[in-house]
Amino acid sequence: MTLSLSGATYRYAGAPRDVLLGVDLSVTPGRVLGLIGPNEAGKSTLCLVASGLAPASIGGRLQGSVTVDGVETRSLKPHELAQRCGVLFQNPTTQLSGTAVTVFEELAFGPRNLGLPVDEIVGRVEWALDTLGIAALAPKDPARLSGGQAQLVALASVLALRPAYLVLDEPTSQLDPQGTRLVGDALARLAGETGTGILIVEHKTELLATMADEVAVLDAGHVVAAGPTAQVLADPELLARGVEPPAAVRLRRALDAVGLSLDPALLAEPSVGGAGTIDRPGSGGGRA
Amino acid sequence: MTADGEIGTRRSTLPEYVLRPTSGPYRSLNPATKLIIGIVEVVAAFVVGHWTGPLLVLLVIALVGWRAHVTRQLLLVGSLTLPVVGSILLINTFLLPGATDAILRVGPLAPTWSGLAFGLQVTLRLLAISLALALVYLTTPIDDLLSDLEARGLGRRLVFVVGAAVNTVPRTIERAAEILDAQRARGLDTEGRFWQRARGVLPLAAPVIFGALTEVEEQTMALEARAFSAPARRTVLRPLPDSAAQRLLRWALFLGAVAAVAGEMAGLLRLP
Amino acid sequence: MSIRLVIESVVFVYPDGTRALDGVDLEIGPGELVAIVGQNGSGKSTLVRHLNGLLRPTEGRVLIDGRDAAHFHVAQLAAQVGLAFQNPDRQIFAGRVRAEVAFGPRNLRLRGATLERAVDEALDAVGLTGAADANSYDLGYSRRKLLAIASVLAMRTPVVVLDEPTTGQDARGVARVRSIVERLSAEGRTVITISHDMRFVAETSRRVVVMRAGRIVLDGTPAEVFAQPNWPALASTYLEPTLPARVGARLELGSTPTEASLVAALAARAARAAQEG
Repeated sequence: MTLSLSGATYRYAGAPRDVLLGVDLSVTPGRVLGLIGPNEAGKSTLCLVASGLAPASIGGRLQGSVTVDGVETRSLKPHELAQRCGVLFQNPTTQLSGTAVTVFEELAFGPRNLGLPVDEIVGRVEWALDTLGIAALAPKDPARLSGGQAQLVALASVLALRPAYLVLDEPTSQLDPQGTRLVGDALARLAGETGTGILIVEHKTELLATMADEVAVLDAGHVVAAGPTAQVLADPELLARGVEPPAAVRLRRALDAVGLSLDPALLAEPSVGGAGTIDRPGSGGGRA
Repeated sequence: MTADGEIGTRRSTLPEYVLRPTSGPYRSLNPATKLIIGIVEVVAAFVVGHWTGPLLVLLVIALVGWRAHVTRQLLLVGSLTLPVVGSILLINTFLLPGATDAILRVGPLAPTWSGLAFGLQVTLRLLAISLALALVYLTTPIDDLLSDLEARGLGRRLVFVVGAAVNTVPRTIERAAEILDAQRARGLDTEGRFWQRARGVLPLAAPVIFGALTEVEEQTMALEARAFSAPARRTVLRPLPDSAAQRLLRWALFLGAVAAVAGEMAGLLRLP
Repeated sequence: MSIRLVIESVVFVYPDGTRALDGVDLEIGPGELVAIVGQNGSGKSTLVRHLNGLLRPTEGRVLIDGRDAAHFHVAQLAAQVGLAFQNPDRQIFAGRVRAEVAFGPRNLRLRGATLERAVDEALDAVGLTGAADANSYDLGYSRRKLLAIASVLAMRTPVVVLDEPTTGQDARGVARVRSIVERLSAEGRTVITISHDMRFVAETSRRVVVMRAGRIVLDGTPAEVFAQPNWPALASTYLEPTLPARVGARLELGSTPTEASLVAALAARAARAAQEG
């Protein structure tokens, strides 16, 4: 049972060259796979391919094989894919349906499309709200949320379709520090508690260091490195590939260079936020 | 797979704020009935007599609006039409072609009674039309109207496009404002003479269009990810009340409107 | 070519009643390198829009080079203060990269060889010389962002304001932005950045202004602002001191907001210990 890409090569409709070249990756339930790489390496394209949106919704040419729990994504229709693999993009506002007047109804949008009975829809919506700790947002107008809250609502809306896998394309890149923390905390909890397999593209290697089990590096359409998070993030090649290593890795390296060392526990210093001064996501959300 | 067990084991009814129980006879009407009433009011304001139609419609709107507790909002909408109303009144009173029954003469200016009357009629019609539509809008959540139209067989996509378009308007305005700011920050003169301002059309229009296109693409993908193209019949969360009486009312109103138009065209209706 | 910016008791209330600036006093001298930080809605963008007249204060006044901004059009102030917005797609309109960059300086009446030189220099600064004839919309997001920055640099304004220049940039892009900022500063121009990236802020700025709810709550050098006593104030606006600052505080080395300052402090301590030992 995995979401797996094997020898996946993809070219957009009408494009002169392939964006992904023979990519092999697999996401297992309950595990988080981080994907990093320089800009224009093909990370967003990989998200579309892994979630089946490419080629099912946007066309293009896919070679090799992409399977969700053994089923080729090419053989599935978009609404069938949506129930197996959810996908979340960068921009929170374009992902909301724009037709719901409350967050509750926004979450119900997907299950309603499936024609599920009302009581099951209610169950799924409440489960998704609780899982992300945003039950307090349910009666609010989706158009009047902060960026972080809107992104959580978009994520919850995808979760309501109960996919076994999630593909997240830089979910915090357009958020301010408060929104980033809100979404980062929720994602970490989601990975730990629901058994969902998660593929996450993220520039913020610090965030990956805390939540990813494994990390893969994509460069010019190729997977050039993959392995356990700590090992990949400590790869000396990382910066040359255009990826910023986490602060702890950089600091350790800077100290090494002058022959100094520090207690590793100090470098693993958790963030100081949280300590009573920060609103938790479950407390009804921060201020916009 | 995700943890299944707990689904559906808790409260399985919709919360109050989703059910949105309606109050009062007019608000509880089916959205389609309210829409038909609104359309018939617009037609009536136009074709029934010179004064009878608009005045009758305004009277009905005032009564319904009062019962539905939207009088204040209706007054606001009415006041928004004032600039247009004012200019229509002035233009007609002073400049109605062929009118000779002057109220008074001040130099070259000669306001006429017939001009004033005609201006008032136009004004009342305009007011009746805007208030009729405002009343439907104020008492019917747009998503109710859309889901009702969908239940009546309008395509899911069409309904969604209409709904999303309505909701995109504020976002497009916001985007346009930011684009305007960005170009002004680059020295685009929007406070200078007209020809200078005219040069600013492309720098403003291009990003608006490009932005809208990218947004549509993103939104399309996000919708697919929400199972939008599933073949199932969409679940209706909040069934909208309808009844045989309402259906009858809609047909009666529709036929009445047709009759009024026909009567007016044939010159049978001789109302003031 | 440097000028002084003075913001005097500025209050700004949006038409919907939001009090975005609630009495801001800020003076930025010629050639300063300032970062403005704070969460969304804290008033950062509203504040910088006062520097070129896009917004006019509800109360108080803004002095650009000693003159009240109220007396000038935005088009005139744009020659003094260049402002690159966060989202490049809210400004790119020209088919070609070169034409996009030339738009600003052309509005400022630059022509002929001067215009060409301004465009070339700006493209060079952001590393887009090779893409000068490319279609603007064919560039990826990070390069469109650099294009938007270049289009403001080409205006050769004494003051340059960059709103969130590092979002969506990879390590190379961030390094590029840092070199742009350093180059501008070395030329003696005033540079103001708005950023959520605390490492970028600590390493590239000489002054950090922290905003919360329309007011300035902290203002000082990176070492002052990221010092431990200020952490609660930072946390209240969801900002977090950098890792070197946290480690330095734990080791009682004083305020070390950057890697370089922490390494230097540790090296100094090691040297002292060696002497004493």
